[in-house]
Amino acid sequence: MADPASSNLGRMLTDEITPVVMVLRTPLVEEATRKNGLSFIELLNPFCAFNNIDVPVRTASDQPYRLQKFKLRLFYASDIAQPNIEVAKVRIKQVITRAGEKDFPEVSSNPLAIETVLGATQHKVLPSWFQVFNQELVHTVSFAEHEAFDHPVACLLAVSSKDEESISKFVDLFNTNQLPSLINDGAMDPKILKHFVVVHDNQDGMPDRATKVLTEMRNTFGANNCRLLCINSSRDGSVERQENPWASCKSDGSQFQQLGCFLSLDDVDELKNSMQDLSSKHIIPYMEQKIRVLNQQVSATRKGFRNQIKNLWWRKGKEDVPDNPNGPTYTFNSVEFQIRVLGDYAFMLRDYELALSNYRLLSTDYKLDKAWKHYAGVQEMMGLTYFMLDQSRKDAEYCMENAFSTYLKLGSSGHRNATRCGLWWVEILKARDQHKDAASVYFRISGEEPLHSAVMLEQASYCYLFSTPPLLRKYGFHLVLAGDLYKKCDQVKHAIRTYRGALSVFKGTTWNHIKDQVHFHIGKWYAFLGMSDVAIEHMLEILACGHQSKSTQELFLRDFFQVVQNTGKTFDVLKLQLPVINVNSVKVVFEDHRTYASETATSVKEGFWHSFEEDMIPLLSSMRSNWLESHGKNFTQKYKESNICVAGEVIRVHVELKNPLQIPISVSNVSLICEHSSGSDETNPDLNSSIDNDQLRKLAINGKIGAEASSFLSGEIDLRLGAGETVVAQLSVIANIEGTLEIVGVRWKLSGSVSGFCKFDSDILKKKFARGKRKSKKSSGNYLKFLVIKSLPKLEGFVHHLPETVYAGDMRRLSLELRNPSNTPLKNLKMKVSHPRFLNIGDQDVMEMEFPSCLEKKRSSAEVYVPVKTCKARTVFSFPEDMVICGDSTCLWPLYLRAAAPGNHSLYITIYYEVGDASSIMRYRVLRMHYNLEVLPSLDVSFQISSHPSRLQEFLGRMDVINRTSSESFQVHQLSSVGNEWEISLLQPMDTVFPADFLMAGQALSCFFKLKNCRKWVNAEDNPSSLVPSEKADIRLVCGNGEALFDTSRLPLVDFHHYERLHQGISDQDHQTTVDFILISQSQSDDKSGINIFSHHACDCSVGSSSPIWWLIEGPGTVTHNFAVDFCEIKLKMFIHNSSDVTASVHISTFDSAPTIDSLSTGASVSSANEAGWRDLSVLNDIKVTSDAVGNHSGKLLSPASVSPFIWSGSSSNRVTLEPLSSTEIALQICVFSPGTYDVSNYSLHWSLFGSGDEDDKETGLRLSSGTCEGHSYYLTVLQQG
Amino acid sequence: MASTACFMIVSKNDIPIYEAEVGAAPRKEEAAHQHQFILHAALDIVQDLAWTTSAMFLKGIDRFNDLVVSVYVTAGLHTRLMLLHDSRNDDGIKSFFQEVHELYIKTLLNPLYLPGSRITSSHFDTKVRALARKYL
Repeated sequence: MADPASSNLGRMLTDEITPVVMVLRTPLVEEATRKNGLSFIELLNPFCAFNNIDVPVRTASDQPYRLQKFKLRLFYASDIAQPNIEVAKVRIKQVITRAGEKDFPEVSSNPLAIETVLGATQHKVLPSWFQVFNQELVHTVSFAEHEAFDHPVACLLAVSSKDEESISKFVDLFNTNQLPSLINDGAMDPKILKHFVVVHDNQDGMPDRATKVLTEMRNTFGANNCRLLCINSSRDGSVERQENPWASCKSDGSQFQQLGCFLSLDDVDELKNSMQDLSSKHIIPYMEQKIRVLNQQVSATRKGFRNQIKNLWWRKGKEDVPDNPNGPTYTFNSVEFQIRVLGDYAFMLRDYELALSNYRLLSTDYKLDKAWKHYAGVQEMMGLTYFMLDQSRKDAEYCMENAFSTYLKLGSSGHRNATRCGLWWVEILKARDQHKDAASVYFRISGEEPLHSAVMLEQASYCYLFSTPPLLRKYGFHLVLAGDLYKKCDQVKHAIRTYRGALSVFKGTTWNHIKDQVHFHIGKWYAFLGMSDVAIEHMLEILACGHQSKSTQELFLRDFFQVVQNTGKTFDVLKLQLPVINVNSVKVVFEDHRTYASETATSVKEGFWHSFEEDMIPLLSSMRSNWLESHGKNFTQKYKESNICVAGEVIRVHVELKNPLQIPISVSNVSLICEHSSGSDETNPDLNSSIDNDQLRKLAINGKIGAEASSFLSGEIDLRLGAGETVVAQLSVIANIEGTLEIVGVRWKLSGSVSGFCKFDSDILKKKFARGKRKSKKSSGNYLKFLVIKSLPKLEGFVHHLPETVYAGDMRRLSLELRNPSNTPLKNLKMKVSHPRFLNIGDQDVMEMEFPSCLEKKRSSAEVYVPVKTCKARTVFSFPEDMVICGDSTCLWPLYLRAAAPGNHSLYITIYYEVGDASSIMRYRVLRMHYNLEVLPSLDVSFQISSHPSRLQEFLGRMDVINRTSSESFQVHQLSSVGNEWEISLLQPMDTVFPADFLMAGQALSCFFKLKNCRKWVNAEDNPSSLVPSEKADIRLVCGNGEALFDTSRLPLVDFHHYERLHQGISDQDHQTTVDFILISQSQSDDKSGINIFSHHACDCSVGSSSPIWWLIEGPGTVTHNFAVDFCEIKLKMFIHNSSDVTASVHISTFDSAPTIDSLSTGASVSSANEAGWRDLSVLNDIKVTSDAVGNHSGKLLSPASVSPFIWSGSSSNRVTLEPLSSTEIALQICVFSPGTYDVSNYSLHWSLFGSGDEDDKETGLRLSSGTCEGHSYYLTVLQQG
Repeated sequence: MASTACFMIVSKNDIPIYEAEVGAAPRKEEAAHQHQFILHAALDIVQDLAWTTSAMFLKGIDRFNDLVVSVYVTAGLHTRLMLLHDSRNDDGIKSFFQEVHELYIKTLLNPLYLPGSRITSSHFDTKVRALARKYL
């Protein structure tokens, strides 16, 4: 370390711990000096500091050395007293306030970057007024009685030459009642060095009188101690100086020129000389002398082994003295005080070794005496002496620490001493670069007085900053602590200054509470000072304070809006954090060749539409009719680069706004910021792509004014965001003029007073879009930039009356409304529906008819029945060429809806159309529609069919219907079989089966019906489907008549049935052994449209056997025969029917072995397998019981005991050939030998089909071409006659 | 249990990734920022101290009035578990840190957790609070 004397503390000590000269003067002296604007002391002060005095001094042990620097402190006798605490406080406060005004940072300047702060030198960063403040603090404890260095060493008595009786004046001046209390109390030796001065004002005439007084004085007080001082030699008061020596003593602004204006150069020289004379010839020798004397005394009484023992003994004896809190008082002639004076004088004359040895000696004494204040004072001086000696750092710190804590122990009286001690301690540490320790000492100094603590904390923070490595976070923290204390003492400017300093540390921190605290308070304080702009700037940072409690959020917002209101204007803020705009969520919906009928259609993935429309849309390559087309290439190039939109059409942008707070906020005037440039700006595309913040601000404000309103129109919406709510705002912009439109960002207004705007970062969006698979090829373009082309016709479509929720089976007619607002005609309209099972396109002529009555069968047969062909390949429907949609006219087109299956379904419709104008780059457009349909289950319908036991070609069927709805009632209207091969008739009239009109919710219905196959063989050239449908294909299930039956062969029903079969994976061909049913029901009453029709389709219900050959054995059921006579011969008949379209050969073989149980069981299993379509319905228990009864009945007959053999007596093998759809009859005979019940089923039928035509080649491969059937059970009871 | 305790996990670049007031005393509004300030300032001390010792648990490295900061430095030195407390239960604090460290490692093992990002798992939060009740 460098010389301690040259350190900060060293300079401080050589300034502060110097001999004090007490000044006593008469009022006339003061009057004379006042002419110069200076008091007497002020006049002398500049000449009391000597940098190169070069006085030889001898130490107590006669070691010579030379004193170079020296200083005297002059005080009036009245000032030599402990300063008034209150006055001192006021003065300190003034210092701080003044510094606050001076150091207040420029508003415009940003807080320094922390790197800058670190790079700067200490003196630059450290506020200079700290020094002044610390000095003032130190001065509050000057002239303490327990220390000797503030006690006057000499006394300067000044009398004016105008004073009468100068000699007696001198005597009077040194009168006891004028002397400071220190002397009067006996704390100080009143016998001090006296120096007498006669002050002569040259303006009052020649110094004759003064010299006379001087000689008189010399006679009285001794020749050496008197002096004449002549001032004010310059008469005109216009002495010019290069450097005014008094400039520094008057800081508060009185003009420097006037200071000392009457003092000529000679006067100044005289002043200088006399002061130097005073110190070198009088004070220093006097002190040297005194040191010598005192040292001898101390050595005599205290040094040496004997004296120490004696001292110890003596001190111990004093232990019974009661503890005085201030310790015992020591008068100036006590040994202890003399040692202290010796130490302090030695210190002032830089004889630190001597000082230290005396202080050491003294400290043990005071400690033993429990004179704690004195002890602390001595320890303090020891610390300083150690420091000045620059040895044993530990000791210095130890002493300071000791002194500090001892002072603190004294309570409030010692507190200011502790502060001074702390400040010196800090300086010691600072001088040794122990900044971290210094900071903690500062922290300890900060005590009760908040203002002083604030300054201390601020100084501590700088210590952290200057320590190596810099402790920045501590720096920030302590600045904040200091700021809070400043605020407490109403030093707002200081508070702002410290917080701004802290801001450089906390800038960009993620410690949210810290950030909020700093910004909120700075903002509030600036607002307090009326600097609203800066206040708002800071307050903006804390708006998105979702992590804070609700009350804090309210506080923040309330204060913020208050500040904003006070300014009375609206603010444009670039980064308004409220609400949070999720830029990543930005979704742009625009229409180029793809247009959308509704919002929901836009949310469907592009990939789906793409594949859905594949077969409608011409390929890009085929769009160009020939390669010579001039603009084709040019436009496709452009087309690839940016999005295309059509003038006059809306571009929608979905932006997610989030309110992070727990309190609702209102957001108004949310709109898009756009930039429109007409014409070609392709020459400078880069210019637009990088809009900086200023431009954005300009754009945002311009858009608001509406300067560019003509080129585009941006819609505004208002929102209210609840606590924590996230809202997707749908913003729109319409470009009116061709050119380029770029969506730059979004702007909004918070609570009607602060408008914010946010830029859509195209880079982020680009990345996002590039990740999407479909747009990868376009990733180079800007997705918010649109090429606006001239307006094109746009087809608008809407499906009327499409319900959102329907019951399964509901069939309705809807109308598709198509509109084309422009006058340009559209060509080549095509439509595609995604789910033909649900939606079917009708013919335009049905539009006029009434639904559903148009489906009813016409009673009059006058109308010629036109069979309808189901159009299987109708995936794309083309509208008729002559259809013109333009202008205001609308076109309605029928659509049929049938809720085929329960569940949620999405229905998609795409309409393709070509624009008539060939010059446009867009040849065609598509209109996409999307609807969601929720289908609830309504009626469950199931069928079971088994063959009639006694009739060929007839079947018995059972239909079970259950209402699955929760509230709806249905009227079962009609059951129809599809096609014309089957006739249905009810077994019982409906009103006995189900007398009620309506099937209520949860209710079940089952009815039995008879099914008759009425297929006839017709000539091959006749189309089987051209047969006139039999009237009996439908049965009315509703009670009462009157209502017409519906024709199931009409268009929508047929189509729906077709798609239903297609959906179930059934080919259209096989009708022979399966029946398709359509159950039509009506809902009770829908308040809107009267009757709703429901159709339920059951396809491919098997009729019980899978073979195309049906047969039946007919014969008597019971035979009575006298077995005593002979055996019984029974004739049976077998009817065989070929239900297939081809010729069949049937071979019947009988065998006489008893029928096995197995065959019966397999038969049972077959029948159960035929129950396809049956569901386990708990409500149908009663039905099950009856079927069980049947089974029991047959089981009873089959008791094995009753089985006895019989033999076939007819031909054992028959072979017949059957034409298609024909029947034959075969006679059979059995012989029975004993009475009993017989199951005549031990025969089998082998059949094989001959392929009749080549058109069925493939089909035959799939169908059974031959098979074997076991015989049906046929029970025969033979009874004994008689 | 300590009447005041604030627990924080600070990751790389001094970004807090988890914070919890785990004291038994009723939560005070103005205390929240003070706790953050103290812990934030204590990072300066951790920064120095962590290199001087091989111990992970650094007890009472910093204090502010009667609040003490104890820190547990993970092996990478990037993540620091910091506890501001007014109790002197060193063993409890040490155990608390060790268990929370274990929890933190489990969080790190989650493939969906991006190291250095905020820990939002409510399970983690519940566990930490339970541990605080147990040890502090």
